[in-house]
Amino acid sequence: MRAVAAIARNTFREALRDRVLYLFLGFAVLLLVCSKLFGLLTVGDEGKVIKDFGLAGIQLFTMLIAVMMSVLLISREVDSRTVYNILAKPVRRWQFLIGKYLGLLATVAVNLALMTAVLLLVTVVYLREFDAGLLFAAAMTLLEMALLTAFATLFAVLTRPMLGTVFTLAVFVIGHVAEDIWLLTQHVDSGIARPLVAALYAVLPNLERFNFKAEVVHGLGVSSGEVALTVIYGLAYTALVLVLACARFRTKDLV
Amino acid sequence: MSRRLATLAAVLALGSIMVVSGLGLQAIPKQDVLGKQLLYLPTPEILKLASLGNQGLMADLLYMWSIQYYSQFSLDEKFLYLETVFNLVTDLDPRYFDAYRIGALIMSLQKSGDPAQHKAAVVRLYDKGIANMPGSWELAEVAAWDAHLVLNDQELAVRWMKTAAERPGAPPEVKRVYGRWRDNIHGWTIDDSIAYWEGVVAEATRKADINLATSHLYDSYATLHRRSLDPLLASIRQRTGQCPESWQELVEQGLLAEVPLDHLGNPYGVDPSTCTLVARKRIRWD
Repeated sequence: MRAVAAIARNTFREALRDRVLYLFLGFAVLLLVCSKLFGLLTVGDEGKVIKDFGLAGIQLFTMLIAVMMSVLLISREVDSRTVYNILAKPVRRWQFLIGKYLGLLATVAVNLALMTAVLLLVTVVYLREFDAGLLFAAAMTLLEMALLTAFATLFAVLTRPMLGTVFTLAVFVIGHVAEDIWLLTQHVDSGIARPLVAALYAVLPNLERFNFKAEVVHGLGVSSGEVALTVIYGLAYTALVLVLACARFRTKDLV
Repeated sequence: MSRRLATLAAVLALGSIMVVSGLGLQAIPKQDVLGKQLLYLPTPEILKLASLGNQGLMADLLYMWSIQYYSQFSLDEKFLYLETVFNLVTDLDPRYFDAYRIGALIMSLQKSGDPAQHKAAVVRLYDKGIANMPGSWELAEVAAWDAHLVLNDQELAVRWMKTAAERPGAPPEVKRVYGRWRDNIHGWTIDDSIAYWEGVVAEATRKADINLATSHLYDSYATLHRRSLDPLLASIRQRTGQCPESWQELVEQGLLAEVPLDHLGNPYGVDPSTCTLVARKRIRWD
């Protein structure tokens, strides 16, 4: 565990030195602060618009940070051959990969926490309200990003950085339209097609499960059972993807 | 140095051209013949897919665009797709209160076309919102006031105010408005009215609410009593040629067992000019 923690710590520090991170973070903060301008354009509840823009901005920029950093940081280690120095020490390949993943996740979490703090500040300043539901929505977004970062890590060991980025973005898109794949099963008449589509739905990640933005914005209740199942689903899927990534990285020819 | 100056000059020149041409383009009005922008509105299903889980944001953008679009009253044809646009917004976010309210307001303002169709569209939009927000009394109340003041349809107003009054959390004011409107249009029997107001009095907790509801209950009882006592006064006047001065006279003549009392236990009076029952409502408001 010590090796994993050390790699995670170094990955986190390395990520913090990356300028791309601050570019994304800067844009995200700008968007959150400017959400007030969008609120001014509406007639009626300004707060809904500010929260919608804020939560969507947090999701978008956290996703971009997760995708770009994940793929870049691992490929950089291989390209610069620093991975050999690390693996020459008593560090197993899976420890290296999990350490990298945890370091990246910590980076994503810190960025998400910063953006959420800005959104909370914006709502307190502009709307004179502290909406704790925003913290819940942000926590669910972090869970979604944990899974997405796991996919990015998997693609980072499977393929080249550019392709890995494209594949991870594709997972993000597919994950958010997965519900429609399920709806497709209701409309498919053919005997073999329906179980095939259902199997596809079961295998693909359903990122809409982590989406509680509408509930938070409209102040609707969410059952604790649903939250618990969402957390279990997210953690189990993330662990599965990481196991696959470790299995591939174990036999990967790094030369 | 000269290269820097040349670069700076080029930047300034290109910047000037850009600004001037931009201003020139701004001066040319962009025409939207027959609201052609609206011909390419995507379906809610496509927009939901494209939003990647941010349907609320997509609804906000479309709503804000629609406000800007429909606030320019230059072309009547702009209203062609009004219902479609607000259906799209409310399909994306079925709990978007402002979209229902403002959408219905814009629909009721349009001058071109068939007013009956516009009204039907307003009713459809409000009914959709009321169905999509079962826990909210506010939208039904707004709809009721629009029907009362803008559409001038009292029966529709009563229907929506009834919905608002029956929703959880509806304040006593909403329940009173519903009862009063229903009384005004004679939309129920007097017994139903009394039963309703007795329920409102029983539910009320604040002194002011109890008094206001009691006042309405008093009126309903007075109406009920008028129905039975006014014909008696009329028949006496017809028979004797003059109206009794008080109910006590009828008691003394054996026509009534006792002086009729109002809901608060006070005796009714008689108006000699019209020869009808007079109710003197005395409620302590302090």
